[in-house]
Amino acid sequence: MTITTQPAVRFGLRLLRGPTGAVLIMAATFVLAALTFFAINGRESISLFQEMVMGAFGDGYSFSETLVKTAPILLTALAVALPARLGLISVGGEGQLYLGALFGTGAVLAAVDQPGWLLMPLMLMGAMAGGALWGVIPGLLKTRLGVNETISTLLLNYVGVLLVSFVVHGPWKNPNSLGWPATIEFPQGAILPQFFDTRVHMGLIFGVVAAIMLHILVTRSRWGLGLQVSRSNPRVGATAGISYERNVLIVMAIGGLLAGLAGIAEASVIQNRLQDGLASGYGMTGFLVAWLAGQHFLRIIPLSVLMGGLLASADSLQLYAQLPKASADILQALLFIIVLAVASLWPNRPKA
Amino acid sequence: MEIQLYNITKRFGEVTANDGISLDIREGEVIALLGENGAGKSTLMKMLFGLYTPDEGSILVNGRETLIDSPQKAMSLGIGMVFQQFNLVPALSVLDNLLLAYPRPPFWTFRRLFGEGASQQNVLAYLEELAPGLDPNTLVRDLSVGQRQLLELVKVLNLNAKVLILDEPTSVLPPQEAERLWGLIRKMAEAGRSIVLITHKMQDVMACAHRVVVMRAGKMVQALTRENCSEASLVSLMMGDSSQRSDIDTHRDPDLAGKPPRISLRGLHANHGVQSIDNISLDIGPGEILGIAGVSGNGQHLLADALVGLVPLSRGEVIIDGVVLQSASRAPKTSDRVAYIPEQPAVNAVAGDLSLTVNVALSHFRQLRFFPAWGPEEEKTRDIIRRYQVRPDNPALGAGQLSGGNLQKLVVGRELEGPRDLIVAAYPTMGLDAGAAHDIYQALFTKAREGAAVLWISEDLDDLMSYAHRIAVLQGGRISGLFNPDQFDRLDIGRAMTGEHLPTADPAPAEPQARIAS
Amino acid sequence: MESFVTELLTLLFAALRSATPVLAVVLGEAMTQRSGVINLGVEGQMLLGAMTGFAVASISGDPWLGVLAACGAGIALSMVHAILVLGCRANQIASGVAVLILGGGLSAYYGIPFVGNKIDTLGNLNHTFVSDIPLLGQFLGPITPTVLITLLAIPAISIFLFRTRTGLRWRSTGESQEITRNLGHSPVPYQLAAIAFGGLMSGFAGAALAVDYTANWVEGMTAGRGLVAVGLVIVARWNPWYALPAALLFGASEALNLKLQSWGVPISPYLLATLPYLIPLSVLMLSYRGLRASGGGMPAGLRVVFQSAR
Repeated sequence: MTITTQPAVRFGLRLLRGPTGAVLIMAATFVLAALTFFAINGRESISLFQEMVMGAFGDGYSFSETLVKTAPILLTALAVALPARLGLISVGGEGQLYLGALFGTGAVLAAVDQPGWLLMPLMLMGAMAGGALWGVIPGLLKTRLGVNETISTLLLNYVGVLLVSFVVHGPWKNPNSLGWPATIEFPQGAILPQFFDTRVHMGLIFGVVAAIMLHILVTRSRWGLGLQVSRSNPRVGATAGISYERNVLIVMAIGGLLAGLAGIAEASVIQNRLQDGLASGYGMTGFLVAWLAGQHFLRIIPLSVLMGGLLASADSLQLYAQLPKASADILQALLFIIVLAVASLWPNRPKA
Repeated sequence: MEIQLYNITKRFGEVTANDGISLDIREGEVIALLGENGAGKSTLMKMLFGLYTPDEGSILVNGRETLIDSPQKAMSLGIGMVFQQFNLVPALSVLDNLLLAYPRPPFWTFRRLFGEGASQQNVLAYLEELAPGLDPNTLVRDLSVGQRQLLELVKVLNLNAKVLILDEPTSVLPPQEAERLWGLIRKMAEAGRSIVLITHKMQDVMACAHRVVVMRAGKMVQALTRENCSEASLVSLMMGDSSQRSDIDTHRDPDLAGKPPRISLRGLHANHGVQSIDNISLDIGPGEILGIAGVSGNGQHLLADALVGLVPLSRGEVIIDGVVLQSASRAPKTSDRVAYIPEQPAVNAVAGDLSLTVNVALSHFRQLRFFPAWGPEEEKTRDIIRRYQVRPDNPALGAGQLSGGNLQKLVVGRELEGPRDLIVAAYPTMGLDAGAAHDIYQALFTKAREGAAVLWISEDLDDLMSYAHRIAVLQGGRISGLFNPDQFDRLDIGRAMTGEHLPTADPAPAEPQARIAS
Repeated sequence: MESFVTELLTLLFAALRSATPVLAVVLGEAMTQRSGVINLGVEGQMLLGAMTGFAVASISGDPWLGVLAACGAGIALSMVHAILVLGCRANQIASGVAVLILGGGLSAYYGIPFVGNKIDTLGNLNHTFVSDIPLLGQFLGPITPTVLITLLAIPAISIFLFRTRTGLRWRSTGESQEITRNLGHSPVPYQLAAIAFGGLMSGFAGAALAVDYTANWVEGMTAGRGLVAVGLVIVARWNPWYALPAALLFGASEALNLKLQSWGVPISPYLLATLPYLIPLSVLMLSYRGLRASGGGMPAGLRVVFQSAR
């Protein structure tokens, strides 16, 4: 008996010592922490947790809502992970998302009478330009003046949100909206394609394709190698003729562009217009997902789905169980803390 | 205080760093511990200072066997050590640094507020003795290397050290400051302290040692009094039978020597951070090894970086074979025909997280395809590993996992692969043991014989004087002297290093002057 | 002319009052960073402090109790950062963001019942001898206790940091943990104390905002003040004395924003509201320029932290 089980047991133990074990411990600790959090607040923790899982993946509709949340998380996570491959810590997804929505909406408003085949690309290009702009500014501050990118991206987030408030309360406000601060409804030609009568939209496809392409580029190409070298030792990169400065601008621009797409997708599909409170918190959630994934592009995809599930179920629980929306933030933070702690303590930490 | 080390052995894995060494340290005596890099001198003294514990043997303090298991214990016994790497916080003042190391600093360090308290007088007493006139409020980062070393000495003296261990104290000093330190060492010995001087320099021994203990490859070769030894006998003891210096051929091909210079530096100016270089004009001929001497921090790194295109020039140009390579009027660029071998390869020459293959491929990064094919690159790496005897010999290994010596061999192999016009070597053997250093010099100078021009920066004047064809001295970012072999003289070069005189002689009488058609 | 001076002084003192929460965070964070640890979580700690302070003041009726509770909440939350950074050696930026999200979430969750409550304020210097001072009285009168406490913290911190043995070791920890360890002092107690002090100050800052300055609790009411403060620490060169003018930059931009709105300047209030972020950011740029030229100021231990996203 023992002879047959021993190799299996040993294999199991080895698995536990490795990354798999770390992930299992993380998941278990997180579930425990979530249950404790519910219990402390006088909730039926087990049943509430069940409802949460059902609210995320229970039926077709729930899962579609999960995927709706997945798209912006995925895109903003990529906007964090790509600069991280160069050693930059960008927390600017939120602001880039808002700027994408702002510029994309600007394109829609400017070309509102154009046919869809022209309007749609204009809108997307506007969104990408806006997001990229909000990535390039901190990039320039970093390369030209040495301003730390974490701080500048954090501050620019607030500016981005305020700029959207400015246009929807001011110049772009729909005069027929009875004082509600929002732009006019997007014309049909400016609404991104959706799938199977749900709100799941093209943004998700953009995200998945971008993740796969970035993975291939960063791990296989000469350009990706340059990023790795610059991150490991910028001085050596410079000796080999790899420009750290140019790469900073490129990764910040591409990251911003992706987050910008997330912004216009929210405005176009989810809200049909630009308004305040476009997407509060997706940027931070994206940051979190990127770190959970160890800045690995392919791992970001499933983790974004999981995190989308958390947000979607928090939305439905707010409705049915009067669970405050902030509990989603608390659960996210608990997950982040647990992952940071376990990953640092585990002997064979999951590789970044 | 008397200390006896008895039959000390220390092993690191396979390597026996110290093999049955016995040594007496007597009051009022200066002992020079002489040997090449890696001979085991520092290891022995680190055991006395409590950083390592011996595997075998014992340490007797005043005749009693004592276990010294931490630097704190050593200091409480009155043993102090000054390392090559200073333990000073550059952003803090001299006084703050002394207070940090003082065993009983006052809780309140009021100074500018209420004047200087009594306990601060204690902290500063030795400073006034060793470095009169040094303002204790100066920040350490503004001090010269020599002053920093004095500060380290003051720290050790503040701890009431009776036995002082100095690890290669003169290796960072220009000759004049080294002389001052020798005087100081003699004075401290006269005051009854014992001093152990770890060194590989003959001058240190001759200037102030009472006794010399020569070590080689972890063993004690011989102990002599100064009266009974000569420089020549010490060198042969230190090097053993195979005196390695002589077997590197640095002869310049006479055909090459007659040719016009390949590299011309014309009035180079550059600024970067706190360093600057100022109006540097030099010519280097084909096959010529031009040594750059000077106290480190006088613009050497900036000169190297500007040559290889890491830092922009603010004026002047670098010309290779009549073609302008770097110039103030355009952005600096790196070239595949320029080799760069900096010190501390782990920091300056490789990406530690990435494999040896990738690091070798960096030398021709721009020629890689967009999706690189790694097969040929790995072949190339294996070839370099084989020819330069890099260990371990696995090209997939992360560069950070190699020792400094092996890494430098890999870098040398990478940089000297293929045709090269200019080789810039900045302290290429710093921190390496004698064997690795020898291999690196050998490779470097062999490449020079093929016709490349070599600019070799070093702070080891002995090495420069033995191998370089000419020596230029950098001082305060300027060339303060240019010496031909018949003018090689320690004191003259030393004076140029401290900026005491500027030579009036024609800077390069033996070389035809630059006249490059552009 | 006189009205201009009055106007200017009014603006200055308004700036001082609105700068106080930021100043407290700058002081705390500067001390944290002086030990070689950066904590972006101050924003979250500030929010939790604001909510806790307001809730306790509202339940107990004693605003001072609220301030104390806020300080406690700030310290408690900062210990999450301490455990992650000192205990688990996690990345400091990531850990700070985790604390930031946690503080935001907790304060929003538990703050719901208190939205719209009324509390007793800490009062101000009106009706004390100060308000009878000729000319200046009208400006000094509205000054509140948290302003005074924060201002007094400047010399206190400065004396501690630059004049005591503990302060000296604190600074050397931030410059080089390795050298500090070589000299026989463990860096961990200093860093722990530094994070806790940052927590205390940010919790206090939250109370200064919710209990004192606005007497109100709104979800996310700090609106990035904590993060602005982290940027301003660099402007202040990690020096408690320079923290005052740095924080006044934020206060002045906010006061200017309000002033311009009250004057009816035809600029959208939303655009004006970007000033408190853009002005500190611009000064940060200039400051970095200086930092680069001199190379001085930044605790050397922090340089390592600002790299490596792992």
